[in-house]
Amino acid sequence: MKKLARHKYLLISCLSIVLILLTWYLCVDILNMVSGSAFPKLTKTISTFIKKFTTAAPDGATLTVHFFNSIKVALWGYVMGVIVGVPLGILMAWFRKFDMFARPLFDLIRPIPGIAWIPLFILMFGIGVLPKALVIFLGVLIPSTVNAYTGIKQTSDVHLWVGDVFGASNAQKLFKIAIPTATPMIFTGLRVAMGSAWSALVAAELLASSSGLGYLIQIGRSISRSDLVLVGMICIGVTGALLDELLHLVEIRVAKGMNAK
Amino acid sequence: MKKKKTPEVWICGIVSVFAFLLLWQIGCSVSELGKMIPGPITVTGAVLKSMVSRSIGGHTLWIHIGYSLLRVLTGYILGSALGVVVGLAMGWNRVVEAFITPIFRLIRPIPPIAWIPISILWFGLGFQAKVFLIVLASFCNVTLNAWAGAKSVDPQLIGAAKMLGASKSQIFFTIVMPASVPQIFAGLQVAMSSSWTTVLAAEMVRSTEGLGWMIVTGQTNLDMTQILVGIVAIGVVGFILVAVMRRMEDILCRWNKGKR
Repeated sequence: MKKLARHKYLLISCLSIVLILLTWYLCVDILNMVSGSAFPKLTKTISTFIKKFTTAAPDGATLTVHFFNSIKVALWGYVMGVIVGVPLGILMAWFRKFDMFARPLFDLIRPIPGIAWIPLFILMFGIGVLPKALVIFLGVLIPSTVNAYTGIKQTSDVHLWVGDVFGASNAQKLFKIAIPTATPMIFTGLRVAMGSAWSALVAAELLASSSGLGYLIQIGRSISRSDLVLVGMICIGVTGALLDELLHLVEIRVAKGMNAK
Repeated sequence: MKKKKTPEVWICGIVSVFAFLLLWQIGCSVSELGKMIPGPITVTGAVLKSMVSRSIGGHTLWIHIGYSLLRVLTGYILGSALGVVVGLAMGWNRVVEAFITPIFRLIRPIPPIAWIPISILWFGLGFQAKVFLIVLASFCNVTLNAWAGAKSVDPQLIGAAKMLGASKSQIFFTIVMPASVPQIFAGLQVAMSSSWTTVLAAEMVRSTEGLGWMIVTGQTNLDMTQILVGIVAIGVVGFILVAVMRRMEDILCRWNKGKR
């Protein structure tokens, strides 16, 4: 009986997708209710998607090239941000003196969204990989630092006292008690950071770039090829979801038994 | 857990911020850096000047802030209201949930910023396109949280209400909805900062006024001071928006304080 109910809901889910595609096909492909420059035909979008793997026109690169360019920049910024951000958060939470000096500076840049730095970095470093990586770096730095900080601060006092009683050194307390406590929280931060890195990358590519998925959708708009825009958006969405899923898999392996879902 | 700030913390904070500003000022006046970016004194002067004179794009700083805020708040209110309704409906009714989940799964991973080009194709360059983007940005976050909130209501409470003969609508309005308010507020917080980011991006791509426009024209005119004035304003307004939301949550969810 319960299995039957599950099947019913699954069926409704499938139905909803089919319904949307059908409406799209009916309204745009058959009835021509909107112009092709505003909303593409379903069939055309699919064929553009397939063709884009092999043809470089009209934006100068195939889908795979755009994809790898975007991924490269995003990962550069992301790795840099995590390498700096997580230790910074841990240090700030563990050493009170350091916290008192670093925290106000951190609070100054914290409310500024990563993408607000784009014009500044473009003027300072041109439109290459560096300014984009820096924008992503700042976007990643903030969530990873904040989460590492909160994670360490959540360490239960009782656990630290146990460490004291058994004569653990400060470093032992940090590495054996505080950091393992903070791991699930740090991973949450890493996933939030991945989302913000990906969206900062798209913004940076929309504004100044000569390749990448953000550039693809921007070109698609300027020549009114809505099918191209949609293909680019789908790629951006799918890649973002895959990156998040990948991090989730790492999280399950690394933070095993540390109340990670 | 929160400890009261001691004077020591204040002194250290002031010292470190002051040291940073001093370093920036000295770096600008002594080295090559000065040719690239203006020092803090110039920037402060420019901020004050732009507050009173129409020095940037024919508007004062206040007008630019006002345009950005108007766009954010219109979209945010629409998007959040829609998100709460859809999210609660998804958490309450399994048919609705099964129907909307796949659509939601499709839309959610696409960052709102990636909708900018298509929103321009659909709505043109004006106010509507920006509001559409912010509706999207806030809708996804709020829906997700309202949905999770309605799903995580303690089943014992619902069971108890059923046993005492509460009708379906009574259960929904007196148990499910209040119980999901803290989660919804968490979503509203995230949605606020994501909306603020999105409006900037939208203004940077196409606009004729607003804070995002301000920094991007600073870039095209090679005017570093204007960019920095914009960044300062963006940071301050963003900070105030988040602080207001937090204050509202403190007041409206006071009953839940022990749990958080």
